Amino acid sequence: MHSFWLTIKYYWGINLTLLLCIALATGVLVGSLIVGDSMRGSLSDITLERLGKIHHAVVADHFFDPKMVNEIDTHAAIILNGPIVVPSTQARASKVNVYGVKDTFFNLWDNSTPNWRNTQNQVFPNIIINEYLKKELNVDIGDTVIVRIPNTGQIHPEFLLGKTDPNDVVNSIRAVISDILTSDQGGRFNLNAHQSLPLNVYLPLSVLQEKLDQQDKVNAVFTTTPNSTQDLIQLNIKGLGLSLHQNNHHIDLQTDQYVLSPYIASIASEIASDNNIPIFPSLTYLANSISYISSDDGIEDIESKKIPYSTIIAIPFQNGNFTEIFNDNITIAGDRLFVERQIKEQQLSEAKKIEINREYDGQFQEVMKELAELTKQNLSQTSEYKIVSSRRDKLHAEINRKQDEITRFYNTDGIYLNRWAAEDLGVTIGDKVSVSYYTITTQEEYITETTSFLVKGIVPIEGLIADTDIIPQFPGIHETENISEWNPPFPLDYSLIRDKDEEYWDEYKTTAKAFISLQTGQKLWKNRFGELTSIRFGRIPGQNIQETRTIIEAELLSRLEPEQLGFQFIPIRSNGLNSAKGSSDFAMLFSSMSGFIIIAATVLIGLVFKLGVEQRSREIGILQSMGYTIKKIRRRLLSEGILLTLFGSLAGCLFAIGYAKLLIYGLHTWWLPAIGTPFIRLHIRSLSLIIGVMISIAVVISSIILAVRKIGKSTIIGQLNKVSVYSTDESRVDSKKKIKTIRMQFYSTFFIAPLFSGVFLGEIVTGDWVDLIISYLLIGIVFTLLLFILRKLLNTHAEFSIYNYITLVLVTLIGLTTGILINFILLIKDVNLRDFTLFHNPVSRFIFFTIGSLSFCFLLFSKWLRSNKISQNLSRLRFSIKNIARQTARSESCVMTISLACCIIVAVGANRQDAIPQSEFSFVAESSLPIHYDINTNEGRRKLGFSTEDSTKLSESEILSFRVLPGEDISCLNLYKPEKPQILGAPTGMLNNDPWTYLKQMNFSHQTIPAIGDNNSLKWILQHNPNENFIIDDETGKQLYLRINTIENSLYQSQLIISETNFLKYFPNESGYQFFLIKTPEAYRSETSEILEKTLTDFGFDVTSASDRLAGFRSVQNTYISTFQSLGGLGLLIGTFGMALVMIRNIIERKGELATLRAFGYSRMLLLGLLFFESSLLLIIGMLIGIISGVVGIIAIQGGIPSLPWISLSITLLFVLFFGIIANVLAVIIALRSPLIATLKSE
Amino acid sequence: MGVIQKKNTKTHQLNISSLYKSYGSLQVLQDVSFSYQSGSSVAIIGPSGSGKSTLLHIIGTLESPSKGKVEIDGTNPFQLSDQELARFRNSMIGFVFQDHHLLPQYSVLENILLPTLAFRKKADAAEYAENLINKVGLSGRISHRPGELSGGERQRVAIVRALINNPSILLCDEPTGNLDNSTTEEIAKLLFELHTTQNTLLIAVTHNLNFASQFTHQLKLENGRCTADTPSNIED
Repeated sequence: MHSFWLTIKYYWGINLTLLLCIALATGVLVGSLIVGDSMRGSLSDITLERLGKIHHAVVADHFFDPKMVNEIDTHAAIILNGPIVVPSTQARASKVNVYGVKDTFFNLWDNSTPNWRNTQNQVFPNIIINEYLKKELNVDIGDTVIVRIPNTGQIHPEFLLGKTDPNDVVNSIRAVISDILTSDQGGRFNLNAHQSLPLNVYLPLSVLQEKLDQQDKVNAVFTTTPNSTQDLIQLNIKGLGLSLHQNNHHIDLQTDQYVLSPYIASIASEIASDNNIPIFPSLTYLANSISYISSDDGIEDIESKKIPYSTIIAIPFQNGNFTEIFNDNITIAGDRLFVERQIKEQQLSEAKKIEINREYDGQFQEVMKELAELTKQNLSQTSEYKIVSSRRDKLHAEINRKQDEITRFYNTDGIYLNRWAAEDLGVTIGDKVSVSYYTITTQEEYITETTSFLVKGIVPIEGLIADTDIIPQFPGIHETENISEWNPPFPLDYSLIRDKDEEYWDEYKTTAKAFISLQTGQKLWKNRFGELTSIRFGRIPGQNIQETRTIIEAELLSRLEPEQLGFQFIPIRSNGLNSAKGSSDFAMLFSSMSGFIIIAATVLIGLVFKLGVEQRSREIGILQSMGYTIKKIRRRLLSEGILLTLFGSLAGCLFAIGYAKLLIYGLHTWWLPAIGTPFIRLHIRSLSLIIGVMISIAVVISSIILAVRKIGKSTIIGQLNKVSVYSTDESRVDSKKKIKTIRMQFYSTFFIAPLFSGVFLGEIVTGDWVDLIISYLLIGIVFTLLLFILRKLLNTHAEFSIYNYITLVLVTLIGLTTGILINFILLIKDVNLRDFTLFHNPVSRFIFFTIGSLSFCFLLFSKWLRSNKISQNLSRLRFSIKNIARQTARSESCVMTISLACCIIVAVGANRQDAIPQSEFSFVAESSLPIHYDINTNEGRRKLGFSTEDSTKLSESEILSFRVLPGEDISCLNLYKPEKPQILGAPTGMLNNDPWTYLKQMNFSHQTIPAIGDNNSLKWILQHNPNENFIIDDETGKQLYLRINTIENSLYQSQLIISETNFLKYFPNESGYQFFLIKTPEAYRSETSEILEKTLTDFGFDVTSASDRLAGFRSVQNTYISTFQSLGGLGLLIGTFGMALVMIRNIIERKGELATLRAFGYSRMLLLGLLFFESSLLLIIGMLIGIISGVVGIIAIQGGIPSLPWISLSITLLFVLFFGIIANVLAVIIALRSPLIATLKSE
Repeated sequence: MGVIQKKNTKTHQLNISSLYKSYGSLQVLQDVSFSYQSGSSVAIIGPSGSGKSTLLHIIGTLESPSKGKVEIDGTNPFQLSDQELARFRNSMIGFVFQDHHLLPQYSVLENILLPTLAFRKKADAAEYAENLINKVGLSGRISHRPGELSGGERQRVAIVRALINNPSILLCDEPTGNLDNSTTEEIAKLLFELHTTQNTLLIAVTHNLNFASQFTHQLKLENGRCTADTPSNIED
């Protein structure tokens, strides 16, 4: 051990350098792992800070009784989202989280006791805001703000009775700021995981409940109990907004949402069936009018035979006791009359339909003929074909519309009128009446539809006919004294209301005037919210009505599943901590990005170690002459190396902390766009340190073992004469080695080639034969070149004869053929080759062509280096080239390292997109509150409050409105791993062009629907396998499978997109539109954005330039590229120092030569210049090979001359050249500093 | 053998007076003085460590003296700048070393031409080199590398390389030190032949007294002092 220390001390200079290199390699690796730890740790910290003591959350898409959450420590809240405005400055912020909470909510954070007490005579309630909102709005305690929130009533806004008017859907609260919360006081509270800082306001729960008319109800409850389960949700009838009205004979199940959800209806039916309870389902609707049609052509007697605004109930007529009244009022004569009229109507309907078919037949045949002709000419993909097929579709639609009108006009369904209505209309059995009513489109437009019925019976107003219990309460109607006081959300023409209608209202209120069959009613009026408004239960046989009620209630509560009712039980803390692992593994990311540094440092370690050994060649020679075996000497050197590695690795841990701090500093400053917010704090895990150090030790020791293994190849005398311990006489390569080399080459070819072809040729095998042959040859050539280079690199020195080459080619081709055969077998076995092949993947294409190009260039360089021409005219250039060729392996290694680095820099740099991104859309807009009207129509704009002038300007723009299912951002801007992505419902209008037509496809199977997502988000953030379905939960908690097609670099990187039709089917309770894409003429650009933001300010409408949005996504990508370039550049810098070290080693070896040249009159400057030229030549050749290969690889991906970011790339490459040159100059100066002449002395 | 085309017609003079050289406290040369003209040949002899190679290197301007004066044709080379000194050495001095110091990566011809690259190369340098190669009997080895030559052949190449720029002074440091007797004789013969035809001042350090006896002068060094300067009976 003592001799170790003495040796290490004696060669302190080289050992210190080695130690530093080991520390560098370890530090960079461990530092990268620490960055990963810090990222994860910081995201976890944010999660804990965000959630305080909350462990679980119960949230619902509707308001509910918080008592339904049965847990010891619960905190009820209302969570909404909306814009906020400061009236004094007009400063505004969108997408602000509005929380209605009690005082105790803040106990969830330590040291959080915000001031919420009103001052004396304060009119407006107090509001607490967080520090980020304070900064955003530039407000302080005492300032007044206006918070806008959605006025979420119980009835869905998109139902007939729901409210959509801006004045109804937006609620404003003026409040005074009483305190400001910091992050650790709950200021970061947010249900969604995101590292960005949320904008939060906190209002007293009672204030929000009052404003929303939701007394004692909330939409979220948080618990602090770690072990809670879903069972904590204990439903109650009232809390669910259900009611069970009971009278002496029956019980009516209704909901305050007006329409019973299909799920509740089905459970109710199940209960009835299981308990043998008779049920009577009904659907109540409001008709705009009931009119008498006296003529066959549909002309109504408007003056005297029309009843406005009547309740109609659809019921199952054949329902035993419940419908006796209808059967009792049917006479045989009346029934015959009704049937006769039915037959007549049917005949008329058929005749009209034939007439329509005849009318359109000519046109239809003509279009079909044109289509057939185009198909025959193989023009089915042309625009002409599309135009003709669109004509066909229009014709189809027109015919269908007319047929539908006929069907509805000559409808033969019966209607029962109450006596009052029949008398008012003057109709009798068999007469025809028309019923007009509103339906509502997805764009919130009311459409009046009309359907005719034949009067089947006239019933007295008694029993079921007079029963209003079956009719749920119409908000804005039910409670009024007069019809003129009605305040429904739909348009009402008060002028139509007659005195007799008011009298009817006074006497009968909402009593139905007409009854139709449930089947017909559901066909006309069912919607996405349901198809029943009431279910009437009879008595359970043998039980009284009270007992029956108790059983029904108990059964309902036990059978209803909370998640099917829109409740979500979220283990929010564990989900958050799980997401904190991040979508990207920053440890891997930075390890990869620092890979260059690690590789360069490892190479440097090998070089320094060799240099150290060379310095001791005389010592090695002496030891050998004293009888030490070469094994013993190697072991001794290895032991020294291991000892240094251990110390170096320990020192590296300290360096790692510094390196990690530097990277974190970089992420907080230079590379901030990659993380958005400077939130990372240093976290060190001992496991990472151990792993990093172990890997580093393994790598370094391997490098040292490689260096030590080559010792002892020169003679003892040579070593005593200070000839390199590594030098070897080329002529002494023995035949044994040659055989070994060829065998190794044969085996490697035979095993690697099938793999190679298996990977790259898989897809081509299924394609064209010419493609296959070309690819086969191309791969064969590239692979052969690769092996050739590999052999050169291994420095086998075996003679490379033509026979060798032929053998190599033959073996390669045999290997490739085997690979192709494997592919064929896979094909026969029906294995999807796309799963195996990488050739269609641009990355593999890039790798393939880049390696091919690098191999070819190396081959040329190698050939040139070894060319042995004797020149009569020895020039300085040739002098330098000869010197480069002196150590061919070293020169090749230098060129290879530099070219690889440059190639990667070019390839990575090429992905940098500096140009301003272009989009077909001018703007992307988001609104905090849902908008229910179509901004594209004049009517929609009028309802939203746009002035006529603004509306005219906006008519120049096209606005696509998307529905939004709230969720997490899945773009690269979110560092957490999203658990629940945001979903957009794409409007039907945009689905006619690729790639969106995919969304129009029929759903693949039960609960499997088409979806589109951005490739970057799916690949990197969701880490989604494209061959699998992506699973989300629909509104009822059932799994919904998304089969996703990808698009590239789109505006939709934050969301997944499905069609609006599917959106409404699976998320029926989401209302309105909150995401918009706007195409606007250049001349109107600034005005459009201004008009929209100004008029829709109450909705928190935020307009962003589409280019800016894309640039935002791109900046993340560019930042990663910059990071890679910076760290890669640093690695290359170390690489150039490695090259400098090689240079120093060369110069030391050539001291005698250089001294001789000095003796012959070469000045020091001349020598310096010549040496500098040699190393610079290697640098430039390496860079050129790298640049060429990088560009070739990019051409392979892009299929043409690449549009490279020349400026940034040139700067990076010039930076590399500059530092390379500096390193060379330093190397030459250092090496020439030692006296040369002494080596010439003979004594 | 071809015709050697170049010959020093001018008489060159080397004057050394009161030369001292020390490395730290170690005195290597003390008060050495002598003067020779072109056409003379001087053998420096003496025991190991007497300062022979150091004196040769000072004459060859590879090392500067600690004290004293060195003049070649009236010029003190140590007063020249590095660049001027390099040019001076390139044109005035030729070196032959014991360990030939041929560059292994170059052929015979390329090694010989190396001194011509230091400054503007003469147009006929290659032709002149070939003539010299022919003269020393290596015409068949012109494109061979040093590794493919024998010790004697390597030294012959080194001699030709030393003469390529037609120097005034030819300095040899143990030129036969690594050679056997017959080769030593061969090299000695060649050296004197070329020295005569080129009219150079030949100065060689040697331990070989037989070889030394062939020089016109023998300069004996002992402990850094010049103890004898014996003109030889053998005159060219």
